[in-house]
Amino acid sequence: MPAIDVHGLTKAYDGVAVVDDVSFSVAESEIFGIVGPNGAGKTTTVETVAGLRTPDRGTIDVLGFHPVDDRAEITERVGVQLQESRLQDRIRVREALELYASFYRAPRDWRELADRFDLGGRMGTAYKDLSGGQKQRLAVALALVGAPRIAILDELTTGLDPQARRSAWETVERIRDDGTTVVLVTHFMEEAERLCDRIMVLDEGRVSAIDTPRGLVAGVGGARILRFRPSHPIGDGDLLALDDVTRVTRHDAQVVVTGGDDMVQQVTALLAHRGVVAHDLRVEQTSLEDAYLTMTGGSNDRRETT
Amino acid sequence: MTTATMHLTRAEGRLFLRDPAMSFFGVVFPGLLLAMLGWLYPGFTDPAAELGGASYLAYYAPVTMVMGIATLGLMTLPPVLGTYRQFGILRRLQTTPVHPARLLGAQVTVHLAVSVVGGVIAMTVAVLGFDLGLPDLPVWFAATYVLGAASIVSLGVLVGSRARRTSSAQVLGMAVFFPMLLFAGVWIPRSVMPDALLTISDLTPMGAMVEALGNAWVGATPAATDLTVIALWAAAAGLLSVWMFRWE
Repeated sequence: MPAIDVHGLTKAYDGVAVVDDVSFSVAESEIFGIVGPNGAGKTTTVETVAGLRTPDRGTIDVLGFHPVDDRAEITERVGVQLQESRLQDRIRVREALELYASFYRAPRDWRELADRFDLGGRMGTAYKDLSGGQKQRLAVALALVGAPRIAILDELTTGLDPQARRSAWETVERIRDDGTTVVLVTHFMEEAERLCDRIMVLDEGRVSAIDTPRGLVAGVGGARILRFRPSHPIGDGDLLALDDVTRVTRHDAQVVVTGGDDMVQQVTALLAHRGVVAHDLRVEQTSLEDAYLTMTGGSNDRRETT
Repeated sequence: MTTATMHLTRAEGRLFLRDPAMSFFGVVFPGLLLAMLGWLYPGFTDPAAELGGASYLAYYAPVTMVMGIATLGLMTLPPVLGTYRQFGILRRLQTTPVHPARLLGAQVTVHLAVSVVGGVIAMTVAVLGFDLGLPDLPVWFAATYVLGAASIVSLGVLVGSRARRTSSAQVLGMAVFFPMLLFAGVWIPRSVMPDALLTISDLTPMGAMVEALGNAWVGATPAATDLTVIALWAAAAGLLSVWMFRWE
């Protein structure tokens, strides 16, 4: 039985569908990523799963419970780190952990949790005096203090410096190693690629794809990218006629060719045959970022977050 | 009290006392104000004809206590609620087994408790510093004080029930606070108020509270009308808050 099962989830604000017929399921102990441009409906989706919002249509099953109707069961089993949520300025780390632990029937040992998230030396520090990374680690620790079976983490690493971000990734891996199912909302593809078992790409409230990171890259047609500036013009049609070329795009004078393993050899052979010199030639593996930009129309910043 | 409620109340109490402005105005201010007036204002402790032979100190003792409660209820509490909404603290609690209503309950408890401490300090100043006698009807006095504090704190919850940010809650709180001071008789003693103003004052929770506390202090049972006004405000503000309150 999946940990989370969502069917036909639809939610509109002022007549505009923010989430439109979204279906997915998350397996136990999986790290499931949700990515998409701002305004794609990521937060609305996870907040509906957490029972903070009521869907207009669709069914949601979380560990056999209904997120809104079975509130008591859900809140005991689902830990949430909300985007743009903070604590009282003057509350100290120890107090926050102890307080949140008191909310649950069978909480985890909050001292052990603090050590696990490198907060052990900060127990007496007021929330406002914590660094951004420490605040995020505390938010995750609080989401886990109730020993949930599912942890929902919304934009965990937004606003963190690269070092703090990497430490947050280790945090997420540790959560999964405990057997907790993780739903991770992010707009960093590097993060999704590194952490997630499967990823759902949302765009304008709809599901563009659900697959493993590798599957998503393969799905947009190609494992390799070749970039160069030709000394003489070369037509898209000539390149696309090659067996292993799947896509050709242009950025000003630069030509970007996507394709399979033999693509590079075929293109360079064609260029040599035509006497075209390829300036600034670079070959890259297609990253999830490239696949994502292809799927979402190239923009990671289309609308405001809802 | 469940463990969670106990922990919440203790945490909110600590946070209140850690805020220097809040603890100063809530705990020390009413007594300090009374002491300053008594020492600095000439003739403050002498009988005054316009107050029916009572001293200004005797009149202002309950007034400063009510003012202290109003400072807590209308100036301190609404911004806390605005902040908790703005920071998503109420929303965060919604994801736990503890409903944010319990955080609201903890805030109300803390404000009521602090208002009692502030009142006791003010009374100590009046009794020990200026030889004013203890209230003649202590039970009536205490009951009126607690009912009145509940009424003003409910009004504060109502003021903060929808504010999205700290600042808007502050502005709305002030907009209620200053007229209420006028009606409570802070600037014009109730005994010299024009009839129209006095009628309005009688119908406000703070005006009715000043009257009822003043009576209990000198041995007159508080009037049923004053207590009814206070209770009605408490009930109306409480019910309206339940209906209006937004958790996010």
